[in-house]
Amino acid sequence: MDLTLARVRHARRRVRRPGRLAYLTLAAVAFFSAFPLYYSVVVGSLDNSALGQVPPPVLPGPNLLSNIQRVFATVPFDLALLNTAVVAGAITFSQILSSTLAGFAFAKLRFRGRNGLYLGVVATMMVPTQLGIIPLYMMMAEIGWIDTLYAVIAPSLVSAFGVFFMAQYLSGAIPGELIEAARVDGCTTFGLFWRVILPLARPAAAVLGMLTFMNAWNDFFWPLVVLSPENPTVQVALSTVSSGYSVDYSFVLAATTVGTLPLLVVAAVFGRQIIQGIMHGALKG
Amino acid sequence: MLRSWLYRLDTKASPYLYILPFFALFAALSAFPLLYTGWVSLHDWSLLEDEHAFLGAANYLTLLADPAFWNALFNTVSILVLSTVPQLLLALLLAHLLSGRLRGQTFWRLSLLLPNLTSVAAVAIIFGQLFGRDYGLVNWVLGVFGAGQIDWAAGTASSHAAISAMVIWRWTGYNALIYLAAMQAVPQSLHEAAIIDGASSLQRLRKITIPAIRPTIIFTVIVSTIGGMQMFAEPLLFGGGQPGGGNDHQFQTLTLYLFEAGFGRFDLGFASATAWVMFALVLVAAAVNYLLIRRIRST
Amino acid sequence: MRLQRGLLVPLLLLAVTACGGGTSGSGGTTPAASGAAGGGAKTKIVIGTFNDFGYQSLYQEYEKAHPEIDIVERVAAAEEHHRRVATNLATGKGAADIEAIEEGWIGQFKANPDKFHNLTELGADKLASQWPEWKWKTSQSKDGRQLGLGTDVGGLAMCYRTDLFAKAGLPTDREQVSRLWSTWDGYIETGKKFAAAKLPKTAFFDGPIVMYRAILGQAPTGLYATDDTVVVETNPEVRAAFDKTIEAIGAGLSAKITAWSADWNAGFQRGSFATIACPAWMMAYIQEQAKNAAGKWDIAAIPGGTGNWGGSFLTLPKQGKNPEAAFALASWLTAPEQQAKVFRAKGNFPSTNKLYSDPVITDFVNPFFNDAPVGKIFSQSVATMNAQYLGPKAGDINTAINNALTRVEQGKQTPDEAWNQAMTEVKKIL
Repeated sequence: MDLTLARVRHARRRVRRPGRLAYLTLAAVAFFSAFPLYYSVVVGSLDNSALGQVPPPVLPGPNLLSNIQRVFATVPFDLALLNTAVVAGAITFSQILSSTLAGFAFAKLRFRGRNGLYLGVVATMMVPTQLGIIPLYMMMAEIGWIDTLYAVIAPSLVSAFGVFFMAQYLSGAIPGELIEAARVDGCTTFGLFWRVILPLARPAAAVLGMLTFMNAWNDFFWPLVVLSPENPTVQVALSTVSSGYSVDYSFVLAATTVGTLPLLVVAAVFGRQIIQGIMHGALKG
Repeated sequence: MLRSWLYRLDTKASPYLYILPFFALFAALSAFPLLYTGWVSLHDWSLLEDEHAFLGAANYLTLLADPAFWNALFNTVSILVLSTVPQLLLALLLAHLLSGRLRGQTFWRLSLLLPNLTSVAAVAIIFGQLFGRDYGLVNWVLGVFGAGQIDWAAGTASSHAAISAMVIWRWTGYNALIYLAAMQAVPQSLHEAAIIDGASSLQRLRKITIPAIRPTIIFTVIVSTIGGMQMFAEPLLFGGGQPGGGNDHQFQTLTLYLFEAGFGRFDLGFASATAWVMFALVLVAAAVNYLLIRRIRST
Repeated sequence: MRLQRGLLVPLLLLAVTACGGGTSGSGGTTPAASGAAGGGAKTKIVIGTFNDFGYQSLYQEYEKAHPEIDIVERVAAAEEHHRRVATNLATGKGAADIEAIEEGWIGQFKANPDKFHNLTELGADKLASQWPEWKWKTSQSKDGRQLGLGTDVGGLAMCYRTDLFAKAGLPTDREQVSRLWSTWDGYIETGKKFAAAKLPKTAFFDGPIVMYRAILGQAPTGLYATDDTVVVETNPEVRAAFDKTIEAIGAGLSAKITAWSADWNAGFQRGSFATIACPAWMMAYIQEQAKNAAGKWDIAAIPGGTGNWGGSFLTLPKQGKNPEAAFALASWLTAPEQQAKVFRAKGNFPSTNKLYSDPVITDFVNPFFNDAPVGKIFSQSVATMNAQYLGPKAGDINTAINNALTRVEQGKQTPDEAWNQAMTEVKKIL
């Protein structure tokens, strides 16, 4: 065996394929990322006393199903899941659409006041959201949307974050020459958007969609203000579950497990698509 | 003639149609609350009373004279720096690792999302448990290595570190995913050429990837700065749901300070003034960031 | 300032249709409508409570007796609940027909009594004698409007661990234990004996917050004079409660645990501390947190005599559409019979006079606490009580003082520095 040749081959392999260190890093990250979720299942399947134990219990116990049954008996959790799916779905759809449209305009079109308006978008992200709540609540009350899903959806229909995100992505990912070429070919602005931008925006739109969906699903502050426990989202139901002088943590964590499960399924099913979307975009770009 | 007129109409006017949905909805749903907040900030406005006397700038003057406000500002900036810098560096590194040819791509990428999937209620309980002084897992691990018990919530530095750990945990994957999406647009040919030239993986990250995804990096830095200035959930949860931020306000951030005034003391006028000052501060912080990054680009 | 509906609604409609209104529109109505339309011809009464009022089975009982009534309960954690009520009242929308309000918050709501129905106009004056005078007056506004009907009261006792007392060579029998500490000085002396036994990882009491509140709760006057002036600095009782707590910390008796933290919860079970001042509602907390420690905890008398900490009221916001029906329900829920049922099921201690001599309460023993006669212990504590007046911001002021005590305990400040900082913070709160 020629030793030098082997060494060269080895080096080449190391360049092409990430080494052990990479996998170790990723495994560590995956472990820490998954830990609280896994631990929710563990504690949710034991009883309250499990939480204070050191070293902590590492394996699930027998009570998960009975704890989950208690959750469904205590709060309208099926309605909560449906409501949250509607809310998160509507918000995600609307944000992707409005952000891609506006992001495209800001990144690739020229018009009077563009820079000023774009700065305006970025500036609106800087408004502390906590305090908009009272006037927003008054507004919702005035329209009569309190305790309906409209009140949860409406304030999140658009996001400056989304516009900023899409604009930054599109300005980097789509070369100016491509736009000019399409124009020379006689593309209208909409044609440009439809034929060129939309396909190329897919990876970013997929990521934005996933992030938006997750955040909408887990948002609790505003829904807690406008919804009542009779017509809750998952997080509102969870806050009902975790109220009490004495909190039964195994019960709460069983509830959070059920509340997160659909999101995990969405991530697993659509996540593949999203990642394929990312790869797809890569091939074209 | 008509064609060219239509063309001009298309290029001049249609851009506004694309940004219209955003701005129309924003005006209806966000601008009003914002302006209303400005109006409220000029009044002695208690949530519990119907009469609101006009005060002028008094709320703002009280705010700027309050040592607790400056303390909250310090805490916010401290936690912001402690959490954002490692978080973005780590995210960049992770995205770079994940953009290579890995076994189990989908698995690794999805695992990045898990912290953001986890419900806030679960995060609160589990991190409260991790950072407990007597029975917390972190102290237990430290104890195994012979270190003493740390009362995480008691000290300024230790509480900032613990909260930053929470922030880093929750948001690194999120940013990594954003980087990853941007990295897909970097032409593969650049990497291949560099590999042939014998560049190491880290060199390629520094020389090719980072310059190529600079707009996205600027984006995440600014968004993280804005998010960090408004940090709310993590310190609130760390303090057991109390907006005070510890017994000496050692980890009270600006948003907690605002929240304490608005929904603890129901002093909406003062809280609104805080919101507007925060708005100005965030603006400054974002601008500083932007200029810094631009300088880095030009050098 | 009101919104101009004329402008806003078309704008919103436009906005919704522009962004895929089909999805949000059709999806939004269905679940919302089901919540609103469920009642049919029945009168729906919404009641907002927090934590655990133990009313679930009572609602069923009431609905059975009144088929025309449909009761819906909203439960949240205490702070969220009161925050929501304040928001609902301020914006004039969204309050429940009946809202429970805790003693620590009632002062704030009393400052604006017009938002609530005056219950005497609905017939509450006939019921007034059910409650001790102080409980009745606590929910009465300055202009004499009756805002609330009392639910439970705190009362005070001392919970202690018999197993740890035995290990430390102290008596374990509750009568004997009570005799050890007729005063707080006696309590500290007992603590020193306990500490002398040097049990590993075990302190005499949990931390400063609960002890300070218990001592302060026993004083005739607390943070406020009855005319709503704050007397924190002039009333020596406040500083005395502060100093007594510091003395106990200085003697090395504190486990230095912040109340309501994860360590506190674990501490009940693991025996991080041997005693804790117990308002009646604390019993439920200990039972929940320390399931495995059944039989190890017991209850003795509190040093320093009787006092109160906690308890709530049912109020009727003016927004409610059915004040008569809501009042009927609220007065039924707070009637002695129902309060007794709640106590036996959950431990929330009744606020009605006649129960304190009724065997249904006085004969009740709690197996978790070594069969302690908790009914008798708390009856004695509450019956003789003349609770102090609580002003609007009592809760926030106590938080500032709690923080000061913790700073001293953690060695960050001397008692005087901590006290002075707390007084500065109090001025800001007012």
